[in-house]
Amino acid sequence: MHSLNRKAALIAIIVTLGCVVISFYGSRKLQNFDPALIAYLFGTLFALFGGIYRYCVWLQRPPTWMYFTRTWQMVFTGNFFVHAWFMLGDAVRNLLLQRFIYPRGNKRWLAHFLLAWGCLAAFAITIPLTLGWINFTLDPATALDPGATKLYNANFFGFKVMDFKLGSVMAFLIFHALTWCSWAVIAGAVIFLVRRLTNAGLIASQTFEGDLLPLILLIIISVTGLGLNFSYAFMKGIAYDFMSVTHAIAVILFLVWIPFGKFFHIIQRPAQIGAHIYKLEGKKRGMAVCPHTHQEFTTQLHVDDLKTVTKQVGFDFTLEDGSSHLDYSPEGKRSLLAMAHLKARQESGSFFG
Amino acid sequence: MARLPASPEKIIASYGPHLNYAPREGYPGRDEPDDSVKTHCCFCGMQCGIQLLVKNNKVVGFEPWMEFPFNQGRLCPKGVERYMQDNHPDRLMEPLQRVEGEGFKPIGWDAALDKVTSEIKRIQTAYGPNAFSILSGVSLTNEKSYLMGKFARVAVKTANLDYNGRLCMVSAGAGNKKAFGLDRTSNNYTDLEHAEVIIVTGANVSETFPTLTYWLWRARDNGAKLIVVDPRVIPLARTADIHLPVKPGTDSALYGAMLKYLADHDMLDHDFIDHHTTGFDATIAAVQDYTLEWAEAVTGIEKEKIQQAAELWGRAKTSFLLHARGIEHHSKGVENVLGCINLVLATGRIGRPYCGYGTITGQGNGQGGREHGHKCDQLPGNRDITNPADRQYIAGVWGIPEPELPGKGLTAWELIEAIHRGEVKGLLSICFNPLVSLPNNNYVREALEKLEFYVCIDFFLSETARHADIVLAGSLHEEEEGTVTTAEGRVVRIRRAVTPPGNARADTDIIQALAARLGAGDKFNFADSEAIFNELRIASKGGTADYYGITYKKIEDNMGIFWPCPSEDHPGTPRLWEDKKFATADGKAHFNPVQFREPSEVTDAEYPVVLTTGRVVSQYLSGTQTRRIGKLVDQIPEPLLEIHPELAQRYNIRQRETVRVTTRRGTADFPANIVETIRKDTVFIPYHWPGRKSANQLTIGTLDPVSKIPEFKVCACRLEPLGVFTKPGEIPAFGSI
Amino acid sequence: MEITSYKTEMEFFVDMQRCIGCKACEMACAECETNGHESMIHVNYVERAVTIQTTVQVCMHCDDPVCAKVCPADAISKDGFGVVHSANTARCIGCSNCVMACPFGVPIKEEKYDMMMKCNMCYDRTSAGKKPMCATVCPSQALFYGTREEISRMRPNSTPVNSFVFGEQVVNTKVNIMMPKGSTQLKVH
Repeated sequence: MHSLNRKAALIAIIVTLGCVVISFYGSRKLQNFDPALIAYLFGTLFALFGGIYRYCVWLQRPPTWMYFTRTWQMVFTGNFFVHAWFMLGDAVRNLLLQRFIYPRGNKRWLAHFLLAWGCLAAFAITIPLTLGWINFTLDPATALDPGATKLYNANFFGFKVMDFKLGSVMAFLIFHALTWCSWAVIAGAVIFLVRRLTNAGLIASQTFEGDLLPLILLIIISVTGLGLNFSYAFMKGIAYDFMSVTHAIAVILFLVWIPFGKFFHIIQRPAQIGAHIYKLEGKKRGMAVCPHTHQEFTTQLHVDDLKTVTKQVGFDFTLEDGSSHLDYSPEGKRSLLAMAHLKARQESGSFFG
Repeated sequence: MARLPASPEKIIASYGPHLNYAPREGYPGRDEPDDSVKTHCCFCGMQCGIQLLVKNNKVVGFEPWMEFPFNQGRLCPKGVERYMQDNHPDRLMEPLQRVEGEGFKPIGWDAALDKVTSEIKRIQTAYGPNAFSILSGVSLTNEKSYLMGKFARVAVKTANLDYNGRLCMVSAGAGNKKAFGLDRTSNNYTDLEHAEVIIVTGANVSETFPTLTYWLWRARDNGAKLIVVDPRVIPLARTADIHLPVKPGTDSALYGAMLKYLADHDMLDHDFIDHHTTGFDATIAAVQDYTLEWAEAVTGIEKEKIQQAAELWGRAKTSFLLHARGIEHHSKGVENVLGCINLVLATGRIGRPYCGYGTITGQGNGQGGREHGHKCDQLPGNRDITNPADRQYIAGVWGIPEPELPGKGLTAWELIEAIHRGEVKGLLSICFNPLVSLPNNNYVREALEKLEFYVCIDFFLSETARHADIVLAGSLHEEEEGTVTTAEGRVVRIRRAVTPPGNARADTDIIQALAARLGAGDKFNFADSEAIFNELRIASKGGTADYYGITYKKIEDNMGIFWPCPSEDHPGTPRLWEDKKFATADGKAHFNPVQFREPSEVTDAEYPVVLTTGRVVSQYLSGTQTRRIGKLVDQIPEPLLEIHPELAQRYNIRQRETVRVTTRRGTADFPANIVETIRKDTVFIPYHWPGRKSANQLTIGTLDPVSKIPEFKVCACRLEPLGVFTKPGEIPAFGSI
Repeated sequence: MEITSYKTEMEFFVDMQRCIGCKACEMACAECETNGHESMIHVNYVERAVTIQTTVQVCMHCDDPVCAKVCPADAISKDGFGVVHSANTARCIGCSNCVMACPFGVPIKEEKYDMMMKCNMCYDRTSAGKKPMCATVCPSQALFYGTREEISRMRPNSTPVNSFVFGEQVVNTKVNIMMPKGSTQLKVH
C-alpha cells in the first residue's frame, strides 16, 4: 500500500465534514433523518471520503494532472462558451448516452446503458434520502380528513418542492423509482455476466474481484431491494429481515468499495471529455510530423507534454542531438528499431544463425 | 451465346465478389467446437496442415496443427484466413441457369443435369465428339483429378480435356521427364536444412510459398549460403548472400554461363557424370561461348556476381536448387528448367541427403493433379496417352476397348484458339478461371462468347462462370474427403469438415451424376472418395507416379506418404534417386543442351520496357476464393505497377499516379509504386485481378513448344502517366468491359 | 487470471531480419480471443521506396512499462508473469498517451472504440499453456515462442537481448530480440 497522501486526505476530510454539516442542517437538525438508514449513512460518508481521497490521489499523478490542468486552461482560454457547448455535447454523447461503447458491441452498449443509468438513478434517490436531504411528508390537511385523497409533499432540505396525490401516476412512479432502477441494473448486469462467463477472451483476462464480483454485488443489491418491496407488498413480510440484512451488507460493501474497485471508473469517466478537448485544441495549435515517416501523427502539444510527463514519471528519451525519441511516430519508432537491428546484423556479417 | 447475361455490376451485386469478415467476437461456437478437423490449407502446393473448427456443420475458425511435419503449425495469411471462404455470402447454393438480361436464376438439379447432357450430346452429334471440351484444375484433389480424366475419356468421350496446370508446372514436368524420366521434386524439404548452398530462381518463396521460408531460414541458421535469382529484390533476396537481378527472359543464359564456369574451372563431379548421366559433352558444347562477359551483357547481372554464384555452387558439398513459375512461364520454360537441372547434374548433387533439386509446385494439388490424367496427353500414374501399352493398361482398368479411348487433345491455350476457329463448340469447366488466369484475356473472353454451350462447376461464380449457360454448385476443399499431393511429393489426406451447404453438391457426385446421364453410369458408381482413390491406385500402378501402395489408412498413420510407393509394404520415397537409377529408359539422368534464345517478344522503340507478372502474398491464383476474403483484400487491395525511380523519372511518373501500360495485346491502367527494388528496365504487375485490373490483358499467348505454357513472365510494353491519382481500391474492376 | 497454466519457462524471441512481411501474424493476431478481431501486432515497411525490409513488432512487455506510467487513467497493468495487459476498458479514456510514449510504438488507439488496445501476448492462449497466435503461425519464425534452450540450440550464433537504448533511456523488456552473438544491448539511437 502507498503511504497516506496528506493533501488528498485533507481535502477528503474537509469535503466529508462539509457534507455532514450540510446534511445536519439539510435534515433540519436530524429531524428528517431516518434512523433506520444509519448504517447506510456511514457507508455513504465513507464512500464520499474514499472517493474524494482516491480522486485527489489520482489527480496528482503527473499524466492525470497534466490533462486536468490542460483541460481547464483550454476551457478558460479562448471562447469559453464554445468550449462549454462542446463539453455539454460530449457529456451527452459519452456520459449520458455512452455512445463510445456502441461500436464495441450493441448488446454491450445496451447492458452498460441499463446498468449505468439504473445505478446513477438509484444513487440520485438513495443518497439524498440517506443523508436526509429529501423526505416525504403527508400533507397535514389531507392527513386529518378521512374522506380526502392523501396528498404527499416532497421536501428537499426541508423545503417543499412538489406534492402529489396518493394513487396518482406520479406517486406510483416516485414510490417505485428504485424498482425501475433495480430492473435496469439486473438486466444490464445479467447480460454482462453471461458475456463474462461465455466469452473466451474475457474469461482469459478477467479477475473475480475486479470484474465478476461487482456484477454479482449489483445483482444481489437489486434482487434483495426488489425482494424487500415484494415481501412487504405481497408476502406479508416473509423473509423481510433476511433480505433487509443482505441488502444492507451488499450496499455497504458496494459503497465502501467504490473508491478502490471497478466502480471508480464512474467518477473517472468525465476525464474522457478532457481528453477530447485536449486533442481538439491541440489540433488547432499544430500537428507533430514524424522525422521518419514524414507524416502527421499527433498534436505537437501532446508530444511536448509527454516529454514533460515521461520525465516526471522517471523516463528520459532525450537523444544526443537534443531531440527526443518521442518526436517519432509509433511507425517511425518501429522502423528505427528495425533499422538499428539491421545495422547490428549487417555489422556482424550474418543475418542468421 | 455465352456473352454475359447481364451487366457485370448486376451479376456482382448478386454473386460477388463480396468481402467476408468474421464477426467481432468470432463465429458462434468457436470456443466450443463440435469437431476440430485435421486437414490442409487449400491455397498452395505446400498444403500446410491446419485444423478447421466445426460447429453445427459450419466451419467457425481454425487452430494450428502443430504436429504436421512440414509446417508444424506455421501458416501464411492465406492459410490463417482460409476458413473465411466458408459461411460466405457469395457461396453458390443451387444450380443456376443464365437468363438473358437478368443474370442467373435457380434451376433444379434434374433440369440442370438434363440440360447439360442434352447439350453435350447435341454438340457432339452435330460437330463430332471433340467439339465438346473440358477444362479442369489442379486445386482439385487426386480423386477429383482422376475422376475428371476418366469422365472426359469414358463418359464424354472427348480428347479435348486439359487443365490449369498448363499455366503452372508443365514446363517443370516436361523438363523433369526429359532429364529424370519422372516428374517430382527430388527431395522433401527437410533436406534443405543442411544444404550448404541454395539457389532459388524464379520463385518468390516468401509471397507464394511463405511457409517454405522456414526451411530456407533453418538452412541459413546452419550456415547455408543463399543465392536468389529474380528481377526484383523479393523479401528472400534482401538478406540473401547473392542476389542476381536477372533480366526477364534471360535465365537460361545465366545457367549456361554458370555451367561453362563450372566446366572451365573443373568444379564437376566426373564420377557421377560418367556413370549416371548422358549428354554431358553436347551440353557443355552448347554453352562453349557463354563467357561471364557475354552473360553480363545478356542478363544484365554483373559478371562478378555470376562468378561468385558459380564459385559458391561449384564448391559446395551439399546443395539444393529450387525454381518455380519465374523461369517456367516462358516460351522456353522447359529449356530454363533443363538449364537448372544441368547445373545440378554437373555437380552430381542429387539423390543424397541435403542434396536436392525441385520445382516448387504452385497450386494446391499441383503435384498430384498433374499425375492422374486430366491433362490432354496423359493417363493416370503420369502415363502417356500416346503410348500403346499405357493405353491398353488404362483401358483395361476402365473396362473399355482400347480404341474407344480418345487420343491426345488440345492444350488449354490451344483450346481457346480452337474455339476461335469454330472447332470446339462446347465447354465444361471446373476449378479453372481462364478469364483471369490465361494470357491475353480479351481474346479468351471472345472465345467464351463464341461457345454454343458452356457449363461450369464451381462454388463461387468466378469471372469465367459468369459466361456460363448452366452453373452447377459444387463443393469446397473442406466439403469432400480426398487426398492431395504436396509440392514435396507427399500424399496427404484432405478431410471433409462439413457437407456442402444448401443444395450444393459434392463435385464427385455431380460428375458421377453427369456420367450416368451420359450412359456411363456403370463406370462411375463409386461409393465414396476412398473408392475412387483405390481405383486410382490400380490405375497408377506401374506408372512413374505409382500410388499403388498408398492407402488412406497409411497416409493417416504417417501424416502423409511420398510417392512412388509401389506396394503396400513400401514406406514411400521422401528422397528420389538414392540408388542412382533414374526413371529414364536407359536408367541414367540426361543432360540436355540448352542454347540461349530470346523470349518471343523483345523490347523495341515502340515497346521499350520489359513487363513481367507474378503474385502477391495475400492472393491465390485467379483470386476466385481470396478476392472474397475481406482481410486478404484489405492487405493488398489492388494491383500496383512496380517501377524503378529512374524509369519512373524518364516518363515523369509520380508515386501512385495511374500509368497506362500498353502492349500489342491491350491496354490497362495501374497506379505506380515507385521502388528501388526492381530492375531499371522492367516493370512488374501482379495478376490476380479480373477485368480492367487484370495484368493478363497485356501478357502474351506465345507457348513453349514442348510444354505449351504461355509466356506470362516476359513481354514488351510502353508506359504513359495519366496524371490521375486514386485511392487504394477506388477503381472498380469492371466498367467498360 | 485466477487459475492459469502460464508457462514461465517460455519466452518470446523476435528477429525482424527474418521477417518477410507476409502479415500472417497480423491475420492470426485478430483470431486471438481477447482482441475482438482487431490485430494488435504491427508489420510495416521500414521505407518501401528503397527497400523491401519490413519489421514486426509485438508488445515488448517492459519491466517498467512507460505506457502504464503515462496513463492518466490507471488503465494499464502488469501482472505477476510480467505481461503488460491491454487497457482496462472501463478506465481507458482514449487519450493516446500510451500510444505516443511507448518507445517501441506498440499500443494502438482504436478510434472507433475511443480506446487503446495492445498486445497481451495472446493471454487467452499463453495463460492456457499454448503459444501466442503470431509466433505459432509465423512462417519465417521471425517471431518465436519457446524456451531459451530451444532458441540457443536452433540459433547458436545469436544472442537474445532485452535491453534497448533510446538516447538517455535504457528500457528492459520481457520480450527478447535476437542479436549477433555476444550482444548485450540494442542501441536504437
